[in-house]
Amino acid sequence: MAYSEKLIDHFEHPRNVGALDKNDPSVGTGLVGAPACGDVMKLQIHVGPDGVIKDAKFKTFGCGSAIASSSLVTEWVKGKSLDEAASIRNTQIAQHLALPPVKIHCSVLAEDAIKAAVADYRSKQNQEKSAAE
Amino acid sequence: MDEVRQYESAAAARAVVACWSCRGPIGPSALFCATCRAVQPPGALDHFARLGFPPAFAVDEAEIDRHYFAAQRLLHPDRFATRTARERAISQSQAVSLNEAYETLKDPLMRANYLLKLKGIDVNPDGCNTIRDPTLLMEQMEQREALQAAETAEDVARLARGAKDQLEACLKRVAAAFVADDLAVAESETTRLKYLVKLVEEARLRRAKLIRVND
Repeated sequence: MAYSEKLIDHFEHPRNVGALDKNDPSVGTGLVGAPACGDVMKLQIHVGPDGVIKDAKFKTFGCGSAIASSSLVTEWVKGKSLDEAASIRNTQIAQHLALPPVKIHCSVLAEDAIKAAVADYRSKQNQEKSAAE
Repeated sequence: MDEVRQYESAAAARAVVACWSCRGPIGPSALFCATCRAVQPPGALDHFARLGFPPAFAVDEAEIDRHYFAAQRLLHPDRFATRTARERAISQSQAVSLNEAYETLKDPLMRANYLLKLKGIDVNPDGCNTIRDPTLLMEQMEQREALQAAETAEDVARLARGAKDQLEACLKRVAAAFVADDLAVAESETTRLKYLVKLVEEARLRRAKLIRVND
């Protein structure tokens, strides 16, 4: 079975690999795992004061489809609002990369990672707010 | 008292089935009919019962081998060369069921997953669940990063040893949790076990790669 060109491109040239400062209040970090494969995925977003995602980074230890899924998500979320980013569905990722059925769970992992990153950013902001009050 | 006796005799009746060949009574895990010696199809048994073990995490691996190889000898295709096609087919399906039971029980991770499933916990529903346990994931992320950054075979060997030690310790916690019937801990430690098995494997691959490059 052949993998799609888009998938291979993201796997061979992953976008936005790296890390942001997880202690920065304007950074949200999502750390998720797929115990079935022993995969672990970290996805981070840097959010501007206007609530728009300025930058995104990821680090994934897992199969090619997991790396491609997280790479794609970091590209997609830049310039998006938090609500837009959190509404990304795994089916969109799977469709874009033409993931084979056995690799659908990799796109689920990427969807969960961006949701976790947004949730982390929001809980940090709430803490800041309650600390300021 | 009568109720107890009735229940017990009903349970015994369920456990005993009729031989497909002579209709004689046979136990659920019997390979052969005691009356006519015909090979019996694999009954609906869990993997532990099939190899003659109670459903527990602690197993004597030598005993598993002994049960399994004894049964496989009796089911060897050569012994069925002159038997009917039906008996050959039945002996084959017995052999397949025994292989499955053996592979599951011999591997500690598969055994733990299977035992959790028997107890009603599916660690991996649809192969698709994700976890957010930050302690476990952070610890695994850091170790995988360290492995990726390791430049020499010695560094990798040190990380591999560390991973193996953690795996041994984790196995002990899994065993203790099953003994205490603490299923929440058994489940979380089994998930950690999966990650540690993966870490040990990744360390092995990384080491093999470094050795190849330096040769």
